[in-house]
Amino acid sequence: MDYVYSIIILIGLFVILASSFNLIIGYGGLISIAHPIFYGLGAYTSALLARDLGVPVPLSILLGTLFAMLLSVAMALPALRISGDYLLIASIGFQLGMIELIKNLRFTGGASGVSGIPAFLVPTFGRGIYVALVSGVALGVVLLVRWIAHSDYGRAISAMRDDEVAFAALGRDAKWIKVSIFALGSAIAGLAGALYAHYFRFVTSEQFEILMSSTILTMVVVGGLKTPWGPVIGAILLQILPQAITFLNLPPVLLGPLQGLLFTGLVLIFMFLRPGGLVRASSTWRATGSGHGGA
Amino acid sequence: MFNLTTLAQILWTSLATSSYYVMFAVAFALVLKVNGVFNFAQAGLMTIAFYTAHALVAGFAAGGATAFLIALGATMGCAWGLEGFGFATLRRNQASPMFVFIFTIVASEFIAYCAMLLFGTWPKTIFPQLFWPVRLVGDIAISAWDLPAIGATLLMLLALWLFLRFTRWGQFMLAVADNASLAELYGINRRQVYTLTMLIAAVFVTAGMFLYGTRAQVQPLSSLEMMLFATLATILGGIGRIWGAALAAVLLGVLQNSSILVIPSEWQGFLLYVVLFVTIIFFPQGIGMPGRIRRLAR
Repeated sequence: MDYVYSIIILIGLFVILASSFNLIIGYGGLISIAHPIFYGLGAYTSALLARDLGVPVPLSILLGTLFAMLLSVAMALPALRISGDYLLIASIGFQLGMIELIKNLRFTGGASGVSGIPAFLVPTFGRGIYVALVSGVALGVVLLVRWIAHSDYGRAISAMRDDEVAFAALGRDAKWIKVSIFALGSAIAGLAGALYAHYFRFVTSEQFEILMSSTILTMVVVGGLKTPWGPVIGAILLQILPQAITFLNLPPVLLGPLQGLLFTGLVLIFMFLRPGGLVRASSTWRATGSGHGGA
Repeated sequence: MFNLTTLAQILWTSLATSSYYVMFAVAFALVLKVNGVFNFAQAGLMTIAFYTAHALVAGFAAGGATAFLIALGATMGCAWGLEGFGFATLRRNQASPMFVFIFTIVASEFIAYCAMLLFGTWPKTIFPQLFWPVRLVGDIAISAWDLPAIGATLLMLLALWLFLRFTRWGQFMLAVADNASLAELYGINRRQVYTLTMLIAAVFVTAGMFLYGTRAQVQPLSSLEMMLFATLATILGGIGRIWGAALAAVLLGVLQNSSILVIPSEWQGFLLYVVLFVTIIFFPQGIGMPGRIRRLAR
């Protein structure tokens, strides 16, 4: 039963991650793949505050979320001077740089990571309550994304994404919209990271590498960009499918690459055969006015 | 610690090791200039080039030259497929730059996972040993690998320059890079030029990977990390400046190797990413270089 609980919690966390990533990359059109590092920063901050400084877990989760948001603003303010491919490469540089920093700092546990993280709720109320907590947060995030998409703020985001020049010409502040959506998406990722840390009680920098970016991106692309429910379907599907492979009892040396092939193969298939994803939004293929050239 | 011999040794080693980085940077910069794509799928081509050569030498006891030629064929074949079935389709569908970029990253990862499945994650080399005989010139140690590597790089750069400057297809490539639509009006087949550019990039990638794999160990995901170096060199050198990218690769190699004197080796990766982040944000068009002075012919 613990295994099932863990799978449900992972699905919930990936729903949160994919939905918040969709907010940035899909609705906002901000091509950054550094999302996992904010997930990692939330996890590390909350874990270290609770374990080393004795901060109560709910407060450490909140501080982890805020720290992820602060760092995302610190990255976004200079990085959003550029867009398109350039922003994507800058985000890769930021992500890998932060991972190297975490690996080399002593108080973050270096490459060995952080273990012995205080558990939250589970020792007192059992695992079921944590499943309920993560599921509730996941549902809340999906509804928040849906609400944002249909609100005035969401319409402003779409307008900025589709034509930034026209948006600015109308007297609207494109930079504020970009920074705010980036901060919001990253804070939600930080919250997911903190929730992860206090359930699984071990984090290491390897969990937040480029492959993690690829996993979340796959969930969004396969599920459907710019739709509230697409990333949910993508996250559920792509968490359950690899579990099916684990039942084949393959050695770990084959299991990892097979799961990777499944992820990347699915993205490639969807990109060419169903670029809109499982839940379609209109004009997914088309250039959105930002960035240059393309192929 | 900071004596002249140490500095000269670091400079020489940097120059030699930057040979493969120059190849990767030139391949990346060329595709970006002509095809207009940040081609991270180059990492996939690098993986194919290395593992083909490794499999031939380790599995079939092939000689170095045979392994190189077959690896070159395999990499060029994949580059052709990548352009014909990947980029051309995306172009036809007017895919946004984000989709193209995601495609290049995911294609590289797909190839890396195939390599993991076939060869495992354990580091591999092309030849069983990485040891190259060393001789002292003055106080500087020069390995038997260094001179052929530098020579091959210079030769390939010269060949590319001659090709671009004096051949018809080279001129077509520059024309498409300058203005693809106008080039088409003059009867240049844009698709063929894109394919040719990918094939030339594949030659540089194979040569670079062959050099790298005879000196260092490679894992399936190594190429993606190496690509960041090529990207950084391309951006530092200035988008659209192939020779600027080559020069930037050499300078970055020197900077990275010299930094050992002042920065612990475990912080070198961090330094590289900081430079990448700062460069792309503050110098997205590259470090300003003096423009070429053109005079009217009288």
